[in-house]
Amino acid sequence: MANVPSNLKYTKEHEWAKLEGDILTVGITDFAQSSLGDVVFVELPAVGKELKNGQAFGVVESIKSVSDLYSPVDGVVVESNADLPNSPETCNQSPYDNAWMIKIKLKNPADFNTLLSADEYNSFLASL
Amino acid sequence: MELLKTSLHGDHLALKAKMAPFAGFDMPIQYTSVKDEVLAVRNNVGIFDVSHMGEFFVTGPDAIKFVDHLITNDFQNAEMLKAVYSPLCRENGTIIDDLIAYKLNDKKVLICVNASNIQKDWNWISSKTQGFNIELTNRSDDYSLIAVQGPKTEEILKKLEVLDSTEFPYYSIKEAAFNGENIILARTGYTGEDGFEIFSSHAMARTLWIKLQALGAVPCGLAARDVLRLEVCYPLYGHELTDDVTPLDTGLGWTVKLTKENFISKETLTNYKAKYQLVKLSLDKGIPREGYSVLNGDKEVIGKVTSGTMSVINNKGIALALVEKAKISADKKYYIDIRNQQYEAIVHTKAFVTGGHK
Repeated sequence: MANVPSNLKYTKEHEWAKLEGDILTVGITDFAQSSLGDVVFVELPAVGKELKNGQAFGVVESIKSVSDLYSPVDGVVVESNADLPNSPETCNQSPYDNAWMIKIKLKNPADFNTLLSADEYNSFLASL
Repeated sequence: MELLKTSLHGDHLALKAKMAPFAGFDMPIQYTSVKDEVLAVRNNVGIFDVSHMGEFFVTGPDAIKFVDHLITNDFQNAEMLKAVYSPLCRENGTIIDDLIAYKLNDKKVLICVNASNIQKDWNWISSKTQGFNIELTNRSDDYSLIAVQGPKTEEILKKLEVLDSTEFPYYSIKEAAFNGENIILARTGYTGEDGFEIFSSHAMARTLWIKLQALGAVPCGLAARDVLRLEVCYPLYGHELTDDVTPLDTGLGWTVKLTKENFISKETLTNYKAKYQLVKLSLDKGIPREGYSVLNGDKEVIGKVTSGTMSVINNKGIALALVEKAKISADKKYYIDIRNQQYEAIVHTKAFVTGGHK
């Protein structure tokens, strides 16, 4: 069973999000890393990049597959995990902590409420 | 259409393999991790269920002559019990499939073909039998096939008493008895490592699958198989080899023996000037994938990546790419377009990884 921490929010694209003030930290879920297998490449956006809800902001690749990363909200990238592209295997080892991907300054804080709760994401996983 | 299942399907499910459709079969893509499976084959021993592949037998007085006529490589002069890799071409030189033909005796040849091409190959080969005293049988449904690959293969097969101490050269074949049943052992594979492919009954395959694991062989899926073959630059039908190119376009010139007396496609290939070239490219950053555009030094698109992956051994993106020969720039530079960014590729003349086969 995939690990789905109850204190985070989720998307149907298998990303997690954590809000602190008006800064949203985003990464991929345990389910995502497990489905991908060995992650060998991560490409993240530069700080300052403006993102729209649903826009592809980066790429995560396993040996055999390529997956886009999608922004769960409108906002601006204020930090990008510079260590991650150098150690992509962190995505498999620590998806919810060390493998955080970007921090987005929310344009519209209400966007946060549209994300899935852990229970909702669990139900979504069960439906796959 | 319902997917076909190999005799080991239940064993794959029991191992919780990730399964996916391949050539009409529900096949294991990976068991644990592609990386670990690749490393098992390079350093130790891995086992693959490749029962989806096709087996045709050609028997009769003209068996060898017939196969030599069908394929571009030299089969006639191969020694008894040898295996010969070859493309199978139409009169116009284009590739129907690639195969391995095994000379079992002077009246019996086994041809092993790609699963996705069984029907296509069968239709072609059976349409070419006129004038040859042979019988052609499709035994694809009767045989299971397990590939045992890696430097420890010989050791493990001797422990199992599948192999005895007699000499068994690379790229050769033997019929043997095991547990009171006839099996066919071929020292061939698709990984670049030493290894055997074992053709057997379905029941025997299940026995072998279990026994090989008990001796430390690691089950490996089709994803690892694809990485392994790409690291050693073996072509794959549907990628490097297609209905639209000849062997001379795609790195298989060495398999076309124009000095042979006669064979299908000889006339065309004798006068053929290659339009394409297959190039081996790697990247320091980024992973090339099938379909990505390849550009020359003038940044003009000249072809496409036919297969690309992250190499487990080199930890770099590697690719085979088919490019238009006439458009290769004088500086011999190649760029690969990844998400609208062009990365300069390193050109390789040798395979990315040297396998350990004998």
